[in-house]
Amino acid sequence: MFDLGSGNVGSVNIMTSDNGGLSNDQIAEMAANKIMYISDEAPEPIRLQAEAFKDRVRNLVQYYVELARREERATICAKIREAGQHQLADAIGRL
Amino acid sequence: MAIAQAMCTAFKQELMLGTHNFATNGNAFKLALYAEGGGGKSSTTATLGAATTAYTTTGEVANSGSYTAGGGTLTKVAPTTSGTTALTDFADLSFTTATITAMGALIYNDTNSDKAVAVLDFSSNKTSTSGTFTIQFPTADASNAIIRIA
Repeated sequence: MFDLGSGNVGSVNIMTSDNGGLSNDQIAEMAANKIMYISDEAPEPIRLQAEAFKDRVRNLVQYYVELARREERATICAKIREAGQHQLADAIGRL
Repeated sequence: MAIAQAMCTAFKQELMLGTHNFATNGNAFKLALYAEGGGGKSSTTATLGAATTAYTTTGEVANSGSYTAGGGTLTKVAPTTSGTTALTDFADLSFTTATITAMGALIYNDTNSDKAVAVLDFSSNKTSTSGTFTIQFPTADASNAIIRIA
């Protein structure tokens, strides 16, 4: 007999933003969620250690997301400045 | 509840009929967003759950930013197994520069008559205002993957 035990649908995580894209914190949170999942049923000492590690992962990712965005803006500013659009380059540089 | 998370019953039957192909070169699957109350088109309210059989425009959120009727195309991750569980996954999906209020979503097969796969319940209204609305899928493992057959 073929017995299909169960079919399940997982829970999604929704991230939204207003007047712009997602923040560094939100992207870091999404990355940390993908890197590690901590079961609610894990023994407390293990869960606490895992949560502490996840916090470190989140902080590290957040730092590099911020760095990547800053460096990307610097590259964009340089290209715009090369094209003679100094005011626009300055405005982007201030973001 | 007007939107109830479920693997659609018709989808389970259609799996046995070979209707859905989740391989990376298989069918195209899409995700549409739905509102409860006044957030949808023409103030319609979505009613989605296990009995849903196909994509519907009733209660779908209005076009905004990169969101257009029918929703966004999902990027598939090839089905795999973990222990005795079969599972499949999708890449996260984002709608940008969008003003959206959604309470849930429907994953459906865009290749095969828009047949429903699963209903997602966000539990509460999620809103973006001239911003990004991102659906992050869960970890693709035997306990959490978006679609699992154990």
